[in-house]
Amino acid sequence: MNPAAGNFSGNLKKALAGLRRINLEGLRWRVFDAKGQILGRLASQIATVIQGKDKPTYTPYREDGDMCIVLNAKDICVTGRKLTDKFYRWHTGYIGHLKERSLKDQLAKDPTEVIRKAVLRMLPRNKLRDDRDRKLRIFVGGEHPFGDRPIEPYVMPPRKVREMRPRARRALIRAQKKAEQQNQHGATDPRKRIKKEEAKNEQSV
Amino acid sequence: MNKKKIFKLAKGFRGRAKNCIRIARERVEKALQYSYRDRRNKKRDMRSLWIERINAGTRIHGVNYGNFMHGLMEENIQLNRKVLSEISMHEPYSFKALVDISRNAFPGNKKVELPPKKEGLAILV
Repeated sequence: MNPAAGNFSGNLKKALAGLRRINLEGLRWRVFDAKGQILGRLASQIATVIQGKDKPTYTPYREDGDMCIVLNAKDICVTGRKLTDKFYRWHTGYIGHLKERSLKDQLAKDPTEVIRKAVLRMLPRNKLRDDRDRKLRIFVGGEHPFGDRPIEPYVMPPRKVREMRPRARRALIRAQKKAEQQNQHGATDPRKRIKKEEAKNEQSV
Repeated sequence: MNKKKIFKLAKGFRGRAKNCIRIARERVEKALQYSYRDRRNKKRDMRSLWIERINAGTRIHGVNYGNFMHGLMEENIQLNRKVLSEISMHEPYSFKALVDISRNAFPGNKKVELPPKKEGLAILV
C-alpha cells in the first residue's frame, strides 16, 4: 500500500489518517482538480459526490459516498473581491474574542482548510458528517500518495458563466485598452515619455 | 390492566419512562402521537427517497429527473416512482432503455455529456 507512493512530499501520515476506519472498500476514488475552479461550485460538486447522492443506491442512513481527492488546492479561484474581503470568523469562547482571518491569509497559511470548510459547511449536519469528512482528502500540490488505487478523474459539469453586468463590462474594456496602450508604447514610464517629448520639443525649438 | 398495557408499550424507553407509571404514561402517549403522524410522513419520505434515487440514476446518463419524468409522461408510461427507483438500483440496463425512451420523447437536456464509460453501465456499487 505505502511503498508505491514513492515521491509524495508532504504529510503522508496525515494523508493516510483514519483510512482503516472507513468500512467499505467497494468505493471509487474520484480525483478533483481544483486548478482554476470556482470555490463554491467545486465544493458543491464534491459535497454531492461525498454524500453518495450520484448513485442510485443512495440510502440516507448509510454512509456510501466515494473517496474524494482534491488536488491543487492553492490554485482555487474566487470571483469578485472575495480574496481580500471574505473573512473566516470564529469565536474562541472568551468574551470579546471574535477572531477573523481573510481568505488571502488562510490560503497562505493552509489552503486545504479553505476547501475543507467549504465542503463541510455544505454537508447536512448529522451524525454522518464526520465520516464524510474522513473520506475527503485535500492536497495542496498536484500529487497524491494514492497512486496505486483505482483512480477516476471527475469531469466537472459545464459551467454557464453569467453575462457581465454593463458597468463591469465597460470597466473591463477600459482596463484592456489601457493594457494595450501600455504594451504599444513599450516599457517606458508615462512620465519618462512626457519628459522625452518635452526634450524633443525643446530641441526642435 | 391499563398499567400493564402502558408498560408493554414503554419497552426500551429511557430512564424512568419505562419503569414509573406516571412518566411512562406521558411518554407512551407522545410515542403514539408520533407514530400516528409518522405513518403519514413515511409515505412522503419514501416518495422523496425514490425521487432522489431516480434523479441519481438518470443523471448518470445525462438527463435530470424533471426532464426524465416529462418524457415518460409524454410516452404515457405509467410506472410509478417506487418501481422506477427499484429498476434504477437493480436493473441498470433496463433503466438505460427507459432513459433513452424519455430522451427521445422529450429532448430537454442539450448537452448530453457522458463521461467515458469503459466496460458497462453497472460500475455502480
